[in-house]
Amino acid sequence: MTLAPQQGRALIVAGALASIFTALAFRLFDLHVLQHKELSAMAQANREQIVHRQGRRGSILDANGNLLANSLSVHIVTADATITAPHASEIAEKLAPLLRTDVESLTQKLSGQSHYVRLSPRVKLDEDAVQRIRAMKLKGIYFEDQFVRSYPNGSLASHVIGFVDAEHKGVQGIEASMEDYLQGQDGYEVIECDRKGREIRALRTEDLGPQNGLNVVLTVDQVIEHIAEQELDKAMEQFKPQAGVIIVSRPKTGEILAMSSRPTFDPTDMAATSADARRNRCISDVAEPGSTFKIVVCSGALNDGIVTLNDQFDCENGAFMYAGRVLHDAHPFGVLSVEEILFHSSNIGAAKVALRMGPARVYDYVRRYGFGRKTEIALPGEVSGIAHPLSRWNSLSITRIPMGHEIAVTPLQMLMAMNTIANNGVRMKPMVVKSIVSEEGATVLQYQPRAVGPVITPRACELMTIALRKVVGPEGTAPKAAVGGFDVAGKTGTAQKIENGQYVRKYYSTFVGYFPASDPAISILVSLDDPVGDVYYGGSVAGPVFRAAAEKIAEYLGMEPQAPPTEVTRVS
Amino acid sequence: MSKSLVVCACMATSGLGYVWQKNAIYRLGDEIKKREAILSSAQKRNLMQAAQLAHLESPAELEATCRACNLSLVAPRESQVVRLYEPGPEWDVQMAAAPLATRTAGQQQVQLRLRNPQSRVLAQQGL
Repeated sequence: MTLAPQQGRALIVAGALASIFTALAFRLFDLHVLQHKELSAMAQANREQIVHRQGRRGSILDANGNLLANSLSVHIVTADATITAPHASEIAEKLAPLLRTDVESLTQKLSGQSHYVRLSPRVKLDEDAVQRIRAMKLKGIYFEDQFVRSYPNGSLASHVIGFVDAEHKGVQGIEASMEDYLQGQDGYEVIECDRKGREIRALRTEDLGPQNGLNVVLTVDQVIEHIAEQELDKAMEQFKPQAGVIIVSRPKTGEILAMSSRPTFDPTDMAATSADARRNRCISDVAEPGSTFKIVVCSGALNDGIVTLNDQFDCENGAFMYAGRVLHDAHPFGVLSVEEILFHSSNIGAAKVALRMGPARVYDYVRRYGFGRKTEIALPGEVSGIAHPLSRWNSLSITRIPMGHEIAVTPLQMLMAMNTIANNGVRMKPMVVKSIVSEEGATVLQYQPRAVGPVITPRACELMTIALRKVVGPEGTAPKAAVGGFDVAGKTGTAQKIENGQYVRKYYSTFVGYFPASDPAISILVSLDDPVGDVYYGGSVAGPVFRAAAEKIAEYLGMEPQAPPTEVTRVS
Repeated sequence: MSKSLVVCACMATSGLGYVWQKNAIYRLGDEIKKREAILSSAQKRNLMQAAQLAHLESPAELEATCRACNLSLVAPRESQVVRLYEPGPEWDVQMAAAPLATRTAGQQQVQLRLRNPQSRVLAQQGL
């Protein structure tokens, strides 16, 4: 049987078609079954992208909710130089004015071989500038979101706020100590893109949004901080000291309302700052406190009933020989009461009070006031100061420590000691963070004032206040620290500096006090390191700064001036 | 015949419905995307403007503006301040008992009202 010629051709065609379809079927089987795993992964990789989204760092606010630091999302411009190279000069001419750079360097960047070039990393573009660049429809030019830290008040409270590094991590101040609360958590999205690289929103498979960081509310009040810094700056201008510090607090709660030191720095311009300027001297520098330390010995002696305010001590007309060395007073005094020892600031008188107390009691009060250990303020870089144990005291220590020698304290420790007297003898932990709040304003964590413990009795505090009020009186060492309308209690300190192991004619001039003395609301410490000129006493240098700051703070807080102070009943 | 027509119509409708629904999903996705972009942009602007506002409200900036505008603004002296109080029962007793001369001008006004019941009633009525 023979086939008709057309049937033979039909068979050939059918056979060919069958072969082709068999080959296609095999190929399909190969693609869909045999190579399924690899190919589907490749296809998914082509379609899908994982986009990381950075969580915004939380803000830092002052006690009244004013913004002290926040993170802004800005755009930086990037390029794929392999795409831009053919038109580099043309693109550079269009972009240079917006990126605030020169055409030549931009052309060079755009002509390279890299797939990723940051065109101008330091220029942060806002939305309007981005829209203008987008409208140019330049091929190979892309945008990248980046967070930058903004400090709207510039250098105000910079030592408290601190700053962040290039990776947006806190390095100093609250930025560092509250890092765990401030930092946001990154999120990610798994998206699919069309052939133009645009996301197909409907095919977004995973969307884990970023978590923004929490906001930190400080106890610092930006107006009080401004007042304090302004007055400190005036003193820096007038007395040209090497450094200066000012701290304002509420003695009853330990809240820090202002804290600043000079030299200072601007966290928005870190390139221009030195490590020295970045140091928060209020907590990281120690110095001999000088006569301000007399409050420790005298209050201890009053507390233990070893002396009364009226007890008399012979101040040896300014030269007291003890353990083979002569102790001097700045001015010669005869017989002084304990009260007079405080407001005349007699070194010999304070030494004799300490001798009556004995070294063990003196050391006990040094420790009870918190010297030689950190105050545990929520700021990094705090030091403990130096308070030698009794075993390391020599025969002179008992006469030198009461006048603030052989001991080193931070300005914050000294203020907290004065606050203890202002707060009926209860030492408070300094408090710089008030609360942690969410982005929506809900309070996550509320910090409460914390008492460290009682140091002296309220009665001893009353007696100390009686004496310390007279420090700003006409007979005291700081009449220039008197605040109109308020009764002030305070203590001056003029401590000689030590250089190469020797006391030199350079001084730390300090005034620390609180007001109103009858019901303390505000305490302030001012200290200047080596004021230039003939005037260097704490009462003359730091006292006026205290007064000026106190007057403005009282005005700002609406504190009602008191009636002329009534005669205080002296109690033996 | 009619049954097959109905089946065909149902299938066609289902197909068209499916395509319409898919289109709607993509269209809504695009709209969500646009709104997400607008929201993100608004949030960024908001942060930027919050920082700008904080800068403008900073004490240093306000002082500089006052100086630049030559406004001669100064804080009022204590004698220019009239302090107003919200008298409560305990405060009433204290104020009524306190000597008049020791009070500030504002306190004296309130104290006089307290001592004159007629004026106190008027004060409570906001008159």
